[in-house]
Amino acid sequence: MFKASRIIFGLLVVVFLMAPLLVILPLGFTDSIFLNYPMPGFSLRWFRELFTADSWRRAIINSLIVGTGTTILATVLGTLAALGLRDRLLPFSGFFKTAFLLPMVVPAVVLGVGMQLLFVRLGVAYTYPGVIIAHTVLAIPFVVVNVSAALDGIDRRVERAAASLGAPPATVFWKVTLPLAIPGVLSGAVFAFATSLDEVVLTLFVAGPNQRTLARQMFSTIRENISPAIASAAFLFIVGTIILALFTLYVRAKAQKSARRG
Amino acid sequence: MSDPYILFQNVSKSFGPLTVIKDLDLAIDKGEFVSLLGPSGSGKTTILMMLAGFENPTSGAVIVGGQHVERLPPHKRNMGVVFQSYALFPHMTVAENVAFPLNMRGIAKADSAARVQRALDMVQLGAYKERKPSQLSGGQQQRVALARALVFEPAVVLMDEPLGALDKQLREQMQLDIRELHKRLGLTIVFVTHDQSEALTMSDRIAVFNHGKIEQIGRPSEIYERPGTRFVAEFIGETNLVEGVIGTVAKDRTTIALKHGGKLVVETRPGLVEGAPASVSIRPERIHFDHTAERENDFPGTVLDRVYHGDHVRVVLDTPDHRFIIKSDHRMGVLDEGDKVSASFTPNACWVVG
Amino acid sequence: MSAGGKYRRHVAAALMLMPLVIFLGLFFVWPIVSMLSEAVSDPVVVKTLPSTTEAARRWDHASPAVPIMGQALVDDIRATTDDQAMGDVVRRLNSAKSGFRTLMMKTLSAARGSTGPLDLTTVDPRWQDNGYWEAIAAASGSRYTDRNLLAALDYTRNPQGQIEALPPSASNNADIFKRTFVISGLVTLMCIAIGYPFAMLAASVTGWKRQLLLGAVLLPLWTSLLVRTAAWIILLQDQGLINSLLQALHLTSGPLPLLFNRMGVVIAMTHVLLPFMVLPIFSVLIGIPGNLMPAAQSLGASKLRAFWHVLLPLSLRGVASGALLVFMSAIGYYITPALVGGPRDQMISAVIAFYSLNTANWGMAGALGIILLAATLALYAVYHRLTNDRPVKV
Repeated sequence: MFKASRIIFGLLVVVFLMAPLLVILPLGFTDSIFLNYPMPGFSLRWFRELFTADSWRRAIINSLIVGTGTTILATVLGTLAALGLRDRLLPFSGFFKTAFLLPMVVPAVVLGVGMQLLFVRLGVAYTYPGVIIAHTVLAIPFVVVNVSAALDGIDRRVERAAASLGAPPATVFWKVTLPLAIPGVLSGAVFAFATSLDEVVLTLFVAGPNQRTLARQMFSTIRENISPAIASAAFLFIVGTIILALFTLYVRAKAQKSARRG
Repeated sequence: MSDPYILFQNVSKSFGPLTVIKDLDLAIDKGEFVSLLGPSGSGKTTILMMLAGFENPTSGAVIVGGQHVERLPPHKRNMGVVFQSYALFPHMTVAENVAFPLNMRGIAKADSAARVQRALDMVQLGAYKERKPSQLSGGQQQRVALARALVFEPAVVLMDEPLGALDKQLREQMQLDIRELHKRLGLTIVFVTHDQSEALTMSDRIAVFNHGKIEQIGRPSEIYERPGTRFVAEFIGETNLVEGVIGTVAKDRTTIALKHGGKLVVETRPGLVEGAPASVSIRPERIHFDHTAERENDFPGTVLDRVYHGDHVRVVLDTPDHRFIIKSDHRMGVLDEGDKVSASFTPNACWVVG
Repeated sequence: MSAGGKYRRHVAAALMLMPLVIFLGLFFVWPIVSMLSEAVSDPVVVKTLPSTTEAARRWDHASPAVPIMGQALVDDIRATTDDQAMGDVVRRLNSAKSGFRTLMMKTLSAARGSTGPLDLTTVDPRWQDNGYWEAIAAASGSRYTDRNLLAALDYTRNPQGQIEALPPSASNNADIFKRTFVISGLVTLMCIAIGYPFAMLAASVTGWKRQLLLGAVLLPLWTSLLVRTAAWIILLQDQGLINSLLQALHLTSGPLPLLFNRMGVVIAMTHVLLPFMVLPIFSVLIGIPGNLMPAAQSLGASKLRAFWHVLLPLSLRGVASGALLVFMSAIGYYITPALVGGPRDQMISAVIAFYSLNTANWGMAGALGIILLAATLALYAVYHRLTNDRPVKV
């Protein structure tokens, strides 16, 4: 009795968590104009819409531009900072480590208002660099956390071994530290890209019509006139997420395997 | 005699307010195998790290091969270091690991490959070149670490508890292997360990550390049989420490008066002063139950406990003067708790500590 | 490392840290500071009407103001070429005293249409009323104001400068804050009610079952927020799957209103935030030795009492951090309520966005933002304390 209720409860929660994702996927292939079940027929018309309608195509391209820019900027800045924070050599290292997480904490709308005010004044509002900068602020914590975790996982003695075998500090960094931190850098980059891809709020505040991203386009479509194009876009999102997640898991598994000791 | 190859002169090392090494003097000859032995926190690893260049002495001189090296960075020291838990590069193959020091020295590819092969053959891992460290057992990883530390023919090899992570059997095999390599290649080895039996079996000399100072340095047999301090006597092996006051000092024999009226007869050696307090170390395996005339010491008592260990029987014997621990190969079934027997030993078995 | 090496390593560490510190200083701290200062600054009158500001200082607030400030105002109007700034001044003054808009429009055209001295009382007799001059003097009195902050909490200053409540018709920010906390509290309770037993279940099984349960939690976490929100719209709409199912089972005769109301917001937000509850509780639970419950039972406690006295107290830390995390995230939510809520379910973020995006009233947006930010940071500080004593891994 107790056991049965546990199983039922567990299944119900799993359904609650998964159902929305499972429900939206097939609708990307409907040939109706309604985002609804039962689907009258199967077609790729909404995917065609996604890749041909100017607003959607533009949005996809913008998302790729902004996502790529964000990934590069956030990964470089975050990785450098994580390296600088390693070993807590500097005063206030603990403070910085906490401070770098704050963009995750501050409500997006608050940050959005501030960015809009400032970016207008600095002349970067409604430009690609402005949007990339805004997304990078949000993506930074993920990079710092991932790279820091990878660096913490490196056995200090491995680097000392390299030095004792004749490697000067720069060589130790390039040949030992960096290769071992790469999995963390990669998953940080994946998180940064995913963050940018899904970002709406800051985009509302700092992007102009020319920088309308896929997420932003989905937001207004849902809000104004919801259509099955949303489900098609969602399908792309979910498939993309799964690919990214598998990639991250693969990189981590590989790193774990090579870090594991006999 | 030539100058020592490695020389610590009056070296101290502090971390903030904490002094880890205090006024250390230590000389190691070329080709010698010296173990630094001590409990954790005794400073032995710090000395190794100063030798390898990962720590700088706060004061004093470290001289290797006639050169001051106190400020020389690790990568310029040309010492092979074998780390605790090996510190192999997890992202490189076995061959790449071993080739690493050769690459750092700009040695040509062909020459390097040959030397890697030789080094791996030496540790019987020639067939494992393309494996990643994670695909090797602990003992194999250990041997790769050894090959990597030896392949560039360093002047000195430093080992920081290299066998700590291995199980007992493998550890003993590796002890023999390292010992053999030391003899064959004429290496100078500084070996840090907290395992006294490892130090005893492998070393030419042992330096026993406690609280950042050398308590005693000497050959293993000296350390074991003639411990210089109470700490050494108790840290190395098991011993009976009997407290007393030095009585008469004669030509061959000295007597030590014990608190409860008994007396010990020990061999006279220089430095024994009548009336001075003394601790006498008697190793458990030197004590017997059957009395003969040359065993001038005889302490009758009651058996408190008796534990069978296979190769010996460990007996706790309570006597008025001391509670003796005795390792006896005497497999008497008759000896039992409550039995009255005597502990007897020769003056030669007694060593006045310090 | 050698002493020189140590120094070099410090310099290298500082150099690597620097770019991000500068970046976040510029694009994270500065925006927030801009928002804060926008909320409390009131420089438009001082900047646009410098002579009038100067004259207002000489005025005793009792005698007729026109002789002292009148010509200064005319001069300022004639000197200003920035129409937008003048528009801001008019808006600012009109918000302090109604009627200012028409008065100023009249005055502007009169001042610009003439040269030399101009008697304002002939332009409009309202200028004889010191109340208007009082408003100008107040607006030019300081570069800073607490007007927005007070308004954010439904308060204002009366002409005497005392703080008093705004009439209920004028503002409902307090209601919106209350609503924000109520919705966030509901979501947090739902997350505890579902998340705690679910985390217990996940911690009590092993192998593929645990993988499945945790995977179900993680997969939504990796999925776009917009996708999940759109999915809930599909499920909850009148012709959606849930309503179809209910009607097919003859549980309801017509569609239940699930979308664009409080129910929809709470369901969708619970779905979004549930992982943040499950994961901290789970990580605490698996850290509890598995033999404690059997031990308690062997000592005579029933299963329920063993849970009450052993497992619950040990896992409370996880529940607390999960609840803080969920509540803290919930109060700042914008997208989900905006898409699945009705007008009566909009939370404080929506109001901030409205002020900022639709009416360009950054002062109000900033003031409300300060309150939201302060609440969030206070919650985060507690969360940080709680998790850093003994970290909960998420």
